[in-house]
Amino acid sequence: MTEPAARPPVAEDPSWVDLIWVQFGKRKIARGALFGLLGLLLLAIYAPLLASNKPLLWRVADGPLSSPWLLSLFDRNFFENGVDLFFNALLVCVSLLGLPAAWAWRRAATLPRAARGARRARLLLGGIGALLLTLGLNAAAPQARPKEVYPALQAQLEAQGTPVLAVYPPLPHSFRDGVLDQARARPSAAHPLGTDAAGRDVLVRLIFGARISLTIGVFAVSLYISIGTVLGALAGYFGGRVDLVIQRLIEVVICVPSLFLILSVAAFIEDRSIFHIMVIIAAVAWTTPARLVRAEFLRHRNLDFVAAARAIGYPQHTIIFAEILPNTLGPVLVSATFGVASAILTESTMSFLGLGDITVPSWGQMLNAGRTTSEWTLILAPGFAIFVTVSLLNLVGDGFRDAIDPKLRR
Amino acid sequence: MLQYTIRRVLLIFPTFFLISLLIFVVLNVAPGRPGAGAGGGGGEQAGQAEQESYRIFKEQFNLDKPIALNLRHLTDLAEVAAWVDAVRAAPGAVPPAARIDAQERLEDYGLVLVPHLLVLLEDADPERQRAAAAWLAVAGQQRFQNDRRGDVVAAREANRAIAAANQEIKGWTWTAAAPAAEVEQKRAAWRAWAAAAPDRLEWTPAERVEMSLLDTRFAKYWQNLLLLDFGVSNIDRRPVLDTLLSKMKYSLSLGTLAVVIAYIVAVPLGIFSAVKQGTTADLVTTIGVFVLYSLPSFFVGTVLLRIFTEGDPLALFPTGDFETLSAGPMTTAERLGDIAWHLVLPVVTYTTGALATLSRYARTGVIDVIRADYIRTARAKGLSEPVVILKHALRNGMIPILTLLGSLLPTLVAGSTVIEVIFNIPGMGQHLYNAINLRDYNAVMAVLLASSVLSLLGILLSDLSYALVDPRISLD
Repeated sequence: MTEPAARPPVAEDPSWVDLIWVQFGKRKIARGALFGLLGLLLLAIYAPLLASNKPLLWRVADGPLSSPWLLSLFDRNFFENGVDLFFNALLVCVSLLGLPAAWAWRRAATLPRAARGARRARLLLGGIGALLLTLGLNAAAPQARPKEVYPALQAQLEAQGTPVLAVYPPLPHSFRDGVLDQARARPSAAHPLGTDAAGRDVLVRLIFGARISLTIGVFAVSLYISIGTVLGALAGYFGGRVDLVIQRLIEVVICVPSLFLILSVAAFIEDRSIFHIMVIIAAVAWTTPARLVRAEFLRHRNLDFVAAARAIGYPQHTIIFAEILPNTLGPVLVSATFGVASAILTESTMSFLGLGDITVPSWGQMLNAGRTTSEWTLILAPGFAIFVTVSLLNLVGDGFRDAIDPKLRR
Repeated sequence: MLQYTIRRVLLIFPTFFLISLLIFVVLNVAPGRPGAGAGGGGGEQAGQAEQESYRIFKEQFNLDKPIALNLRHLTDLAEVAAWVDAVRAAPGAVPPAARIDAQERLEDYGLVLVPHLLVLLEDADPERQRAAAAWLAVAGQQRFQNDRRGDVVAAREANRAIAAANQEIKGWTWTAAAPAAEVEQKRAAWRAWAAAAPDRLEWTPAERVEMSLLDTRFAKYWQNLLLLDFGVSNIDRRPVLDTLLSKMKYSLSLGTLAVVIAYIVAVPLGIFSAVKQGTTADLVTTIGVFVLYSLPSFFVGTVLLRIFTEGDPLALFPTGDFETLSAGPMTTAERLGDIAWHLVLPVVTYTTGALATLSRYARTGVIDVIRADYIRTARAKGLSEPVVILKHALRNGMIPILTLLGSLLPTLVAGSTVIEVIFNIPGMGQHLYNAINLRDYNAVMAVLLASSVLSLLGILLSDLSYALVDPRISLD
């Protein structure tokens, strides 16, 4: 008996996702914009590494070597905002696990399709788990607060003749606490873009503002995409009375002047935080994905594969979410990308009008400060930051739209 | 077509009703006390007089009523007794939030509390009797007539009588040290008061249903809305509709000017870009339009203001306002010139935003048409290129951009908050901005409702115009 000859490997058909990914990769501008966005995300994650007034390394005379910077990352008093704590946890996770995870992700490409999906899903879940674990540890851990004002302490110690080793990030300024005697400084080597009226470094606030904008954009859009997808799926799949009710609801929400409503509600909320802002944006914007998903469901629900799924006896939720829903992902992804851009614009408009979260370094708020003081750096810097972010997102959105359009396939 | 139009027009009314319900509920449930900035506050430290004026303020704007569904007539004796006890409990015995909640309920519920409080008046505990009498003096208060449309003299007369009756029952309370005879006399007064009008303490099932649905903030608001009464501002007590209409002319002139200019520029730009598709000229235009599209209008406005106004590099235009405010008498031509001079920067800001969207639509519209067979036919029969483009392609290519006009209607009339705030133009957008900062609920509602009506009309207009210009679309 001889062993049956090993079959030559069968070339798999590329999956739909692969196809779109290849199409997207062929669009150079869109690909570049996606890398730009990735850079922006890294900038947001590693913001404290670029700018912090806590020294990375600190040693007084022959004392022990410490890192007040590392401790400050988890200081709920210094980073009082949930967004910053989230990004700090992300910083830790990405630094420790980022490269191995990326390597494992790429290696999964050699696996057959089913195993690849499962492997990547496990990787994703593991990443989210690690992030939650870091956040949980942070919340549970006792607070170590490096309270000292390190640059001042260093100057004082050196004046006494004590040798001090202090290594600071490239921009040794806090995004939150200003130095009043340096208010409204012109751009200089210490402050590349000058300082604002409270003596805070403009460049540092610009970098930390990326965290706020990206969070608002991504979270608000995820929220309303979820709402819209579920409602649109129900309306499109069941039709009839369900459809009628949801359609009416969509019509009503569309007719409400959204920016006016957003501004009014935001103004009436006391102590609004950026979480309120995300919810408000999501509450008026869910109609776009709802309409898209509904239209796709109407198109798909009478096709053969759905009839087959029914004949096999799949439960309804499997048919809706596992069979039909994946077909609607393309248009939803495109609208989500543009949605992030417009959510960022909406948030900066709100902050510009003084109706945002006044405790966070938001670009719109900085521009508003620039308007009232007519300081050039305060006008141009946040303005360009918004412009660049929105442009990148719009370019990526254009790329996705062309990539999923079969007529434009290259 | 006619049938469709009629159906669509009729559908506007229920949709508008739902929109108003939505806006009303959203604004009212948003955390934050309505009217907190006006009417004398009413915080815990507020004096007696301020408490009273806040109560009247709440009554006048119906803020003491539930938002959309009133189930207060289902309150039972045990609940009322618990609230009364919570408010009079020793400090620290009840959490502050529960105490405030109980107090607000006792202040707001009004007549539905009276039967239960009368029972408590007969309670064995004299302290409870005293508290019940004190709350009866609040709950038994009759409401003033706030109708500004009817006979003012008669209403004033009636209000005077109500005030006298209210003043009288306020006297039927006693201090802890009051002698037994005084207490007995005042309790007798309450019993007589209750017996005098038994019907105000009894409700038939029909009346209960009516109370549930109609004795609410929203129902009261809509009753007035049906008479085109949007209420008065709680800042200056003037009808908000008058103020709104007086603001509209500013927004309308700014919006119309900007949209007209945007169309004049965008259509040729779109055609040019479409005809030269794929060339460098098209690329440059597309990039330019893309840049405009991603520039936030508040950034454009701020930069323009910084460059072109007084004290800046190119002091060509004024820093804001619709016209010179303290100008002497001017002829009409001078005044128009003055307004135009003030409007240059806002219109440019406005136009950059609209231009990007419009020229994108125009380009896509023409590109879609230019490959059609009938255009090839037109070329084949020897028509010149301008005739092919301007006469044949343009008619169909402009359908999308024409129907877009309908959806621009709300911004056209209601203006843009951002631009009006930056350039200090006293239009509807700025009016809304000021109203929300002053918590002027009626004014905010009026602006939101007015622009909802405009977008309803805009959507209708754009659907109808689509059917009118494109015979392939049948609406029936």
